[in-house]
Amino acid sequence: MTEANAISIQNLTKRFGHFTAVDHLSLEVPVGQVFGFLGANGSGKTTTIRMLTGSLTPSSGKAYVLGANVAKRVAEVRRRIGYMSQKFSLFEDMTVEENLRFYGGVYNLDPDEFAARREYILDMADLRGRESELTANLSVGWRQRLALGAATIHSPELLFLDEPTSGVDPLARRRFWDLLYELAKTGVTLFVTTHYMDEASHCNRLAFINSGRLVAEGTPNELRAQHNGATLEEIFTKLSTN
Amino acid sequence: MLNRILAITGKEFLHLWRDPRMLAAVLLMPVLMLLLFAYAISFDIRNVPTGIVDMDNTPTSREYAQAFDASDLFNVSYRADTISGVDAVIDEGRVSIVLVIPKGFGKDLLAGLTAEVGVYVDGSEPNSGRVSRAAALALTTQYNRELAVRWADLNGVDISAVGGLEPLMRTWYNPELKSSDYLIPGLLVVIMMIVTVQQTSVSLVRERAQGTQDQITVSATRPTELLLGKLLPWSILALTEVGIITLVSKWLFNIPLRGNLFAFALGTFIFVVCGLALGMLISSFCNTLESANMMAIVVAFLPSFLLSGFVFALEQLPEWIQWLSCALPVRFMVELTRDVFLKGAGFAEVLPEMSFMLIFAVLAITLAAHFYRRRLR
Repeated sequence: MTEANAISIQNLTKRFGHFTAVDHLSLEVPVGQVFGFLGANGSGKTTTIRMLTGSLTPSSGKAYVLGANVAKRVAEVRRRIGYMSQKFSLFEDMTVEENLRFYGGVYNLDPDEFAARREYILDMADLRGRESELTANLSVGWRQRLALGAATIHSPELLFLDEPTSGVDPLARRRFWDLLYELAKTGVTLFVTTHYMDEASHCNRLAFINSGRLVAEGTPNELRAQHNGATLEEIFTKLSTN
Repeated sequence: MLNRILAITGKEFLHLWRDPRMLAAVLLMPVLMLLLFAYAISFDIRNVPTGIVDMDNTPTSREYAQAFDASDLFNVSYRADTISGVDAVIDEGRVSIVLVIPKGFGKDLLAGLTAEVGVYVDGSEPNSGRVSRAAALALTTQYNRELAVRWADLNGVDISAVGGLEPLMRTWYNPELKSSDYLIPGLLVVIMMIVTVQQTSVSLVRERAQGTQDQITVSATRPTELLLGKLLPWSILALTEVGIITLVSKWLFNIPLRGNLFAFALGTFIFVVCGLALGMLISSFCNTLESANMMAIVVAFLPSFLLSGFVFALEQLPEWIQWLSCALPVRFMVELTRDVFLKGAGFAEVLPEMSFMLIFAVLAITLAAHFYRRRLR
């Protein structure tokens, strides 16, 4: 475990009764990378993320996030990470402003900090002028960018994104990934799960899991080379059916 | 810590504000229930439609019938001098009590003999039937006494020199036996129960179902902070509603508030804690809003109507139901409220009820915290 790794997992395992959701998973994610975490539905991606964010206790194994043992220093870890789920976790009956203000309060930002972050997010997500619009009335693309803003309101060093683009049109997905790259440029590590292989090919590194076990890891190019030039789709299908 | 709790509490109030139906349900339902129970569902007996069949038709019989005319309780709407039409008017529901004064009533009385009158009561509505029968008896007894006094006067007997038993009836705490005095303190408890149990369980389940609970948890907000933030608004609302209903019942319905207000406030606080803990317990067992709602109705709504003594006096229910009622805090809160409002109780008098509720609160919180934590893991 070095400071160069944003995430370091050793033999991480989670069992629910007789079912093993994550099975002796070991993984290193270097700081500043866009890391794609791939696998079919039910392969254990979300369970892994929940253990890394301290929402689930591992049955065995260790997880270090930003150099800290998640099991022991969960509060510290949580202050430094962000999390955005497929559900976006916005309050649809509240306005853009109220959603941001709420997450600012939950992250305990002081007024100056909040004001600065609010400006930044409104520009980043192109939401200026829509501050008092109800979130329910925003299109999915805007909601997705607002969710990203809310998840990063406290300027996290590491951001977990659990299928952040499912159900979003290709144009909005492209725009969203542009935002992710900008975040990565500022030094934020991104840990992304996705089912879109075009998105996966934009990642620095990829990890495939199947039935909770790591089945392949490497850069997109390394993986294509290992599989004799197959596309990521073909690799995904092959690795997920074995 | 405070920052986070306030952020969550503020958000809860925003949800409420943005949901007009919910707001109406929370703010208007108690007022509606109050009006409904105070005006419509009254157990007070007044203006019982009454028939008088005076077959005697003498000054004495008319004087006797006059006593019924003068009473608030009876509203004489049918008069006849034969009994032949009585069956019909009772059947048609035009009268629910008929007084039959037989021929010879006045003559018998003047002769110093005992006269008899017939009282027919329509028992299909037992409550008013029972009350009007008792009232008719009371009026007759009173008339009887007047006759005795008059007889004594006529015969030169000093009534005060003659020993006699005189029943003195007195109803305590609620001398007019007004049902609103009895119902409204109970209603207060029912409303508190609904606001705390139902609303908290639904709001907790909604947070989990829409995924925002995960998001908040990941923000290093401790479960305690989340819970406090979510429970605070409903506690504030419940206490505000208690205040409003107390004022309304005092000024609009003249419900006496005789006892120690602080004892009532403390009891209310403990009861609200019980309700919130019950709401938490329900939310930890339910995954959908529908199931939380249903369970809240079963746990909060039905027992507070049926097992609290709110409408049905517990003493009149089977013994096992009386025991069952001890399992929930409503019955103790209803007792406490009535004791304070009607009997003028202070801390000492309501200590048993408070202790029971406190025990319940501690148990429920412990259980709820246990299941809630398990849910989060």
